[in-house]
Amino acid sequence: MKLLKIMTLAATALGVLSTCALAQEKVTMWSRSTSEAFMPALIKAFNASHETQIELQIVPSSEMVQKYATAAAGGSAPDFVSLDLVYAPAFAKSGALEDLTDLAKSLPYFDQLSKAHVGTGTYDGRIYALPMSADASVLLWNKRLFKQAGLDPEKGPTNWSEIEEAAGKVNALGGDVHGFYFSGACGGCNAFTFMPLIWASGGDILVDDGKRATIDTPQMHEAINFYRNLVAKGLVPESAKTDSGKNFFGGFATDKIGLSPIGAFAIGNLVKNYPTVEFGVTFIPGKNGGKASFAGGDNFVVTAGRDNTKAAKEFLEFVYSIEGQTLLAKGGSLPTRADIAAEAIKSLDERYQIATEAMKIGRTPSSPVYNDIINSSTGPWKQMLNEAFFGDDARGSVAKAQAAMQSILDSSN
Amino acid sequence: MTSQPQIHNGVPIPRRNQRQRRKQLAGLLFVSPALILVLTFFVIPLGMAFWMSLHNWPLLGKPRFIWFNNYTRLAQDGQFWASMRFTVYYTLVVTVAIFAVAFPLALFAEKSRKLTKIYRTAFFLPVVVGFGSASLLWAWLLDVDSGLFSPAAQSLGFTAKRVNLLADFDTTFWSIIIMVVWKTAGFNMIILLTGLQGISTEVQEAARMDGASAWQRFRRVTLPLMRRTIALALILSVSGSMLAFDQFYIIADGGPQNSTVTAVYWIFSQSFVSFHLGYGSALSMVLLVILVFISVLQLRLLRNPEGM
Repeated sequence: MKLLKIMTLAATALGVLSTCALAQEKVTMWSRSTSEAFMPALIKAFNASHETQIELQIVPSSEMVQKYATAAAGGSAPDFVSLDLVYAPAFAKSGALEDLTDLAKSLPYFDQLSKAHVGTGTYDGRIYALPMSADASVLLWNKRLFKQAGLDPEKGPTNWSEIEEAAGKVNALGGDVHGFYFSGACGGCNAFTFMPLIWASGGDILVDDGKRATIDTPQMHEAINFYRNLVAKGLVPESAKTDSGKNFFGGFATDKIGLSPIGAFAIGNLVKNYPTVEFGVTFIPGKNGGKASFAGGDNFVVTAGRDNTKAAKEFLEFVYSIEGQTLLAKGGSLPTRADIAAEAIKSLDERYQIATEAMKIGRTPSSPVYNDIINSSTGPWKQMLNEAFFGDDARGSVAKAQAAMQSILDSSN
Repeated sequence: MTSQPQIHNGVPIPRRNQRQRRKQLAGLLFVSPALILVLTFFVIPLGMAFWMSLHNWPLLGKPRFIWFNNYTRLAQDGQFWASMRFTVYYTLVVTVAIFAVAFPLALFAEKSRKLTKIYRTAFFLPVVVGFGSASLLWAWLLDVDSGLFSPAAQSLGFTAKRVNLLADFDTTFWSIIIMVVWKTAGFNMIILLTGLQGISTEVQEAARMDGASAWQRFRRVTLPLMRRTIALALILSVSGSMLAFDQFYIIADGGPQNSTVTAVYWIFSQSFVSFHLGYGSALSMVLLVILVFISVLQLRLLRNPEGM
């Protein structure tokens, strides 16, 4: 009798345990190393309050695309991935991603999600990726150097001539101090910080659904001349010419640079690691005013063929909740849902407000060959800018890049 | 009991042939582990690379068979041929530079004198540093602001302001040549040293007795007797230089303006940045053919007239 009781109890316990195991869905997720400051905390909070459990793996940023593509081809890809938004079109085109259109449209706040993220996540009219984390490009100025140069330290420039004038005055302080900094040999950095100059002046980079390159335009030539002028006047350090992105942030952090267009990630980094640098944040302006920003960050994608839309929805609803958005913001990512963005950043440094506003107007060129035309170190975008900023034949470089980019776009269609 | 000869197709096989066959089989068994390794890690991957080169094989998406389209495309790929030309130029310059440094070092280190072992170790030390690490070290040394050369040149009054050595093709190229010579001369010195030590002292003595000067002994005795060693060092140096990548990727990022993009850098860029694995394979096959051709040419040129 006693034995029977024990067996009954054991069977009941086993049943309860297996029911729990069934209810507790486990999914795997990869995220790139640049998200290390906020993704683990976000996943931890999600796991603590949900039955669905996400197992997060951080992958080095430079290896993410190759690793995910290889894993997807070999059938060993994770269920979810937080993927650099510029790569979403390439993965969507290859058929590696699950169609999330119905899930996206079912979210009542869908219209409030970052347009740039949803834009790169949309391929052939279907949505394959939704916003995960965000960063927007802004213009930083050094308040201490502005004050020393006789400029108003509380007011950032609002057009190109104001930037040039301020950079000139700061540069005149002499020594190791320079007026302006940008990474002159980095395609990705200049997509982030140079493209907004063109957008804010009324130009564009890719049109017709990303099928046509519009590089050889008056806005591009004017923006290039603006940078060429800064270089020719000696307002930019010599090292900028060969900086492939290593000093993208470090340049301004030296406390010897007057102005630098950079990402919102720099705000938290400067406050935390370089507390002595006094800085202001403003929008990247157009030639005669206006403002624009490049929306960067990650998109959330689900590997094709995985039946876990329910878990994906559960996770996204958490990410887009005030708790999720606040956790993201505290870790250094900008909020991706516009209607609650202000609330999510209210406890943070007030300079995040400008970055959040920049995010709302942020744009991202969308193309399956984005890496080829923009990011590649041997690609046409980087080559054009480096030649045009520092070389002799700016017009020739632009014409050459226009042809090269269009050729890559044509061969991909 | 006497063993009967085996019969094959009605004809008895002589016992000597049987022994020979057994020997051959044993030989095959002995080399089979090496054979399996070569097949698994060289022949099969090579065959696969060739197969891939006949496809439009994107990293993302499905491969499509396109016959020899990748090869016709690379014939018109201006950057690939520019990279090939640059790679050959680099190989010529760096090989001459390495030999110009390694040979005197070998001659110096050959003679037994005080601290010989220390000299040899010091010359060989940079070889043990990996190319990647050495490139990172030199990328820092060459940095215009936080490096060593530019700030030092300015502080010592050689230049009025800091010169960005990586902003100009010539300074970038020669900086990398110096780095590679520093990194690899010790290895070539060791190879040449073994050749030098293999020359009998009696031969040198005989030449000296005949009244040959030091230069004549080097030119007429040492050099001809080192033909094999030089051939080995030359082939290793040339094939290694033709495959150069790390230093140009890490130090110069292919710049300024793609002028230091080597053949392997372009293959890497096409394969893993643009994700065209099929095209990257086709480029690799062409580079392999060029490399085999150069190596055969070198062996022929350095072949000993009396047979090596």
